Parts: sequence; structure tokens; C-alpha cells
Amino acid sequence: MKNHKILPFGLGIYLIILFASSVQAQGYNENEELVVVLPPMKFETASAHYAYLLEQAGGGTQHTAATIPQWPGLWDTAGNTIGKTFLLDPEAILDVDDEQKGGRVRTGILTPPYEQAFQERRQEMREAGQQKYDRLTHCESPGYPRFLLEPYTREFINLPHQSWQLNDLMNENRRIYIDQEHINVYGTHSWLGDSIGFWDGDRLITNTVDILPVDYFRGLPLTSNQFESVEVWEMKILGDGSQRLEVQVTFYDEHSLLKPIHAVYAYKPAMVLMEIGARIRQWECETSSNSYLTADGETNFLLPGEPGYKDARGVTLFPHLPGQSRDPIYETGFEN
Amino acid sequence: MGKILARFLVTVGMGFCLAQLVQAHHSFVAVDRNVERLIVGTVARWTFNNPHSWLYLDVENEDGTTTLWSFEGSGVISLLRKRITGDTFQPGDRVTFMYCPLKDGRPGGHLGWAQLDDGSFIDPSDGGCAGDEETIDRWKGWLEQGFTSKAEAEAAGVVL
Repeated sequence: MKNHKILPFGLGIYLIILFASSVQAQGYNENEELVVVLPPMKFETASAHYAYLLEQAGGGTQHTAATIPQWPGLWDTAGNTIGKTFLLDPEAILDVDDEQKGGRVRTGILTPPYEQAFQERRQEMREAGQQKYDRLTHCESPGYPRFLLEPYTREFINLPHQSWQLNDLMNENRRIYIDQEHINVYGTHSWLGDSIGFWDGDRLITNTVDILPVDYFRGLPLTSNQFESVEVWEMKILGDGSQRLEVQVTFYDEHSLLKPIHAVYAYKPAMVLMEIGARIRQWECETSSNSYLTADGETNFLLPGEPGYKDARGVTLFPHLPGQSRDPIYETGFEN
Repeated sequence: MGKILARFLVTVGMGFCLAQLVQAHHSFVAVDRNVERLIVGTVARWTFNNPHSWLYLDVENEDGTTTLWSFEGSGVISLLRKRITGDTFQPGDRVTFMYCPLKDGRPGGHLGWAQLDDGSFIDPSDGGCAGDEETIDRWKGWLEQGFTSKAEAEAAGVVL
């Protein structure tokens, strides 16, 4: 470990904390700006980064069911900084109004082939107003890191030996194995990869590897099958007393990134959902999605009566039996 | 120290919230979001399902026949955040709402705002059509003057 590298970064962190504290004293609200906290030093790999943090934490805090931090309830996304990492106009991630917005890729972040692919994606968006097709349309999993951004609803369940992060969208359930090593017995990678972690006091530090290639979001770049991450999860209390769960991330990807990138994603309590007693239900796409990829590479929708239309409130494969309608309350079956 | 301070400032400057991204698993290129039209019909079915809700509406044609129109709205969780539930539209309800049509002319599109029987406005929209407060306020002015589309209002020079 080289102290001459650690000290300046440590001072930087101190300055950020000092800045954050001073601003908080003036009173924050829910729109409090998200601040990226850089790692204490540069690392070549996610595993080296994770190992360093584990060493600094003295092997991690051994929580019990009584002491482990709890983040109960439902959570909505509350912003992130990843768009600005890749775009000079992050407000135009999804929609491009004119030539002046949304097409300006921040260069020097992605490797040449991935930057070219991203430029082509943004060019398509300039021409069509938005990305013509999203792989999620055919019910493909968002995967990681898109899991962090998707503006759906989360639940976070921390147990002494596992943390579960549940997303409403497509039932993506992320399991973080606490104080364990990576294991992969599948012979391939997976949508959310393999996540391990440890606790450093109230902070959850994770390392995720073995992830299938996906993307950061619709309108953002692609990732490769060598994408890995280190995350630091921490509950923050804002100036107005509200909670915001933040995760500081460092993404590593030898194929797509010229160097590791840093971002922060946030989540806020889903107050309305909890107030009305909303409960997360099974998210299903196969019997209910009527959006599809056209021969022209665009997105369109099937309507009732058209070949291939899926009736989400229709009947099962056994319509001759009583009680097979998927619309048991209103029974609004119509010819389609 | 100068480099550290610069890096610190860059980092702080990156604090940018993107909290209001639309909740959708697909693109909206099939929809003409620049066209906003009013439609009135009878609810055939309110499919309050993921990945997107769909409102199916029986709309009477001038010749007395009826066409089933299909309108996509937001996903379930996004609607619940707006206090819109699976019972908000019920079969047989007479509903007035604004929509953005499919570009290919089929009887369908995406939901903008909707007006309920009690006169209140709700926003079941997703990224396919604007149904937010600003759009509703603009339309309230147009409704008072009897316009049934954004094109009509703009042709009359009423830009709110």
C-alpha cells in the first residue's frame, strides 16, 4: 500500500464529507444533490478494490440479527449520476428533441468499439427521437448494472448472512452473500452476476462479478461480460430528516471502459405506495406484453384481434374448465 | 493539492439527479407524441397489468358502429404512485381522456390525462404521451374553448 496515494484521496474524501456536512447544516430537502464519493485510491480490478476495503474494515463487522442495519419498507429510485458519466446532456438519456440535445457523447470514457456503438445508438436516437428498440421489450432481464437504475420499486432485506435486494421490475432478486467467497457452478455468467459483501459498521460493501453483457439503461452504453463492480451502500439522513439510501459504485470493465468509472445511485422511501398499502406482486411479461420488434427494427404494439396479441386478462390453456379466467373480478372478456 | 481540489469539485459537480425517468420497458417510437387528441368512450376493460396498463375503450363512430380502441398507460407501480388503481376505470364507465395516436393509424395510442366522472383529472400516462400537470393545465384552457385536439387549438392560435 502506497501512503502517498492514499493520503491525497483520503483528504479528498474528508473535504467531501466536510462539504456535505456544511451544506446539510443549511438544510437539505429531498432534492439534495447526489455527490459521488471516490474510492480511497485507484485500483486495477474490482477484486483488488474489494479486498482493500475488506482489509481496511478489519475483516468486516460481524452483525447479528439484532444489530444488522434494517432498511424496511418500499423504496423508489431517487436519482443517479450515471447519465452524466456518458452524456454531456444527461437530461436527454431517453428522448432527443433536436440536434442540439442528446447526441453529445462524453468521449474518453468508453473503449473505441464501445464508444462507436454508443455513438451509433445516440445517432439512431437523434434520427428517431429515441432508441428504436429496447431489449427489455421482449422481456429480457434488465440485469446488472441496469438493476440499480430502473425506476421501479425496491425492497432491501438485510440478514446476517445474506442481503436481498428485490426489484418490482421483472422480479429481479439480487442476493449478496455476506462474508463469503465468489462461487459460480453454472458454467456461464448471469444477469445479476454473483455478489458477495461485508459490513463495515452500517455500510454494506459488495463485489459483483460474472455478469452477462447488458446496458446501463435505454439510451446509455452497453456493458461487456467482464463488467464488475464494487458498491458501498449506506443510509443517509437528509437535512429535512428524510432517509435516502445511497450506493456509491465503481464499475470496472476491461472491454468497455478505458478506466474504472464512479457513480452514485439513490433510493427514497416510497411514501405513497406504503400509505395506500401497495404490495409488490409477481411481475410477468410473457402473457401480458404486446410490444414487439418490427421487421424494420422498431417497436410497435399488437392490438386485440391481431395475430399474436396476448390477452393479459384472458383465460388459461384450459378454458373449458370453470374458474380459468385471469380477470376473475370484472370478467370483462371480449372478442380479440 | 490543486489536483485534489479540482477532482473534488468535478465530483461534486457530477451530482445530478435523474429521478423522473419514465417507467417503461420499451421505446415509444411507434407513437406520435406531438399529436394530442381528445376521445370519449365506454370502458370495455382496464387491464391494470405489468409491464404496462392498457385501457380498452368502445368508441362510437359517426355511422353508429363501435370500434374498440386500445390505449397504453404506465406500469402498475407507477400508477399506484399516482393513486391510480385497478379499480379506477371500471367496465361501462364513460371516460374522457387525451391520447397520442399510433403513427400507423390503427385505433390505438398512448394515454395522456384522463378526466373522471367527478370532473377531476388523473395522469395514467407514461413516456408515450404527456399527462402531467402542465399538460392538464394547458388542456383545461383548450377544453373551455371547445377544442378537441392540440392541432385545432394551435391552428386557432391558442397556444397556452
